[in-house]
Amino acid sequence: MPLHEQDIYYFIDVTLTHLNKITGNEIVLRDPTIEFQSLVFSAYTGLLHLKGGAEGFVYITASQQFLNFLYNFRQSRGKASEEDCREVISDITNTVAQQVHKRFGSTLKISEPRIFSTVPDDPIEMPPAVFVQPIVWRKEHAYIVLGLASAETT
Amino acid sequence: MTGTEIYKRTAAYDREARDIRLLAPHWKVLLAFDGQRTLAEVALSAETSFAEALPLTQKFLDQSWIEETPITLDQYMKRIGARDIAGTGASVPPAVVLHDPKKDVPVPATPAPAAPAPSMPVPPKPVAVTPPGIVPPPLPIAPPPPVKPPEAVTPEKGATSKSSRTPMKLSAVVDFITSLVGNISLGQLLVYRVFLRVPPELLLAEDIASVHLANDTSLVKGEKLQKAIGDAIEAVTKRTLPDSVFAAA
Repeated sequence: MPLHEQDIYYFIDVTLTHLNKITGNEIVLRDPTIEFQSLVFSAYTGLLHLKGGAEGFVYITASQQFLNFLYNFRQSRGKASEEDCREVISDITNTVAQQVHKRFGSTLKISEPRIFSTVPDDPIEMPPAVFVQPIVWRKEHAYIVLGLASAETT
Repeated sequence: MTGTEIYKRTAAYDREARDIRLLAPHWKVLLAFDGQRTLAEVALSAETSFAEALPLTQKFLDQSWIEETPITLDQYMKRIGARDIAGTGASVPPAVVLHDPKKDVPVPATPAPAAPAPSMPVPPKPVAVTPPGIVPPPLPIAPPPPVKPPEAVTPEKGATSKSSRTPMKLSAVVDFITSLVGNISLGQLLVYRVFLRVPPELLLAEDIASVHLANDTSLVKGEKLQKAIGDAIEAVTKRTLPDSVFAAA
């Protein structure tokens, strides 16, 4: 079953929905870009590999301060440690994975979330193009990045 | 204001957001302006009466926290449920907005990683890796959108029918593709699918490492790249590029 634009957008939408739920709809979208040469990684990244209906990956990468704000949003808990930041990004990635699995079921295989700081330990294959959706919250940036192996999404 | 206007939050809002003080229900309205929903839809989603939303909207406009967003003919007709221009009640086709000059602050060519915190040992940097030699299989046929923009009514024979020496405006290409879908976000993903079919080496040869989906200033001069973009658009959308994507001689 081919994935249409609506299906592809679901990866972005589900991430935004989750972040808006946490932040009380304070997430601001910036104009997206399509990148042909490089991937963007911020301080912490949660990545999911996709296979089946779409081949490629989706990840969210955020600055430490962005995650620190998320960590402290519900209740003030002090400065988030590296472990806390990993936990926050892992929580977002897991939620996205669950929602995507709920929607696509067995037609789309989703890997276990890969959580890393700065740059990935194992290299990630650069697809022909990646879709980068920048988001801003409290002047801190994060990026939702979608990399499909080809325009064919079946 | 009639309720059909579409507003989005501005760069001024982003700058001042932390200092703005509003009642909670008013925040709900302000945050509902997303550049996609009409004022009436915003009021509905924010559970605010239209009468109450009007002065609030005016206040936000006065403060420059929101601004009206132009939409394409396609998007307009989709919104009003018209299948063609006659259905809009217009005696002449309304102008198609392909380019909004009043966009927010442009995003850098390669999204810069966030500034590292003092405790971060290594500053995050974009990682460049060689694209794989993947040959894309044939594309699924996208169903044609219900309404053609005026440019597509009498399409050109091929994407590069205009003199290949005439540069192609990337922003106009993006706007054209986006206009084929009645939703900006989905339109942007359609642009992405098109560019997945354009060989990256051709883009990089013209120093195009990224495409901004709003206000891209790049010009495509090479005939090969122009043809590749035109072919990709035809393959994905079954449409041909209009003459208007070429810069004036």
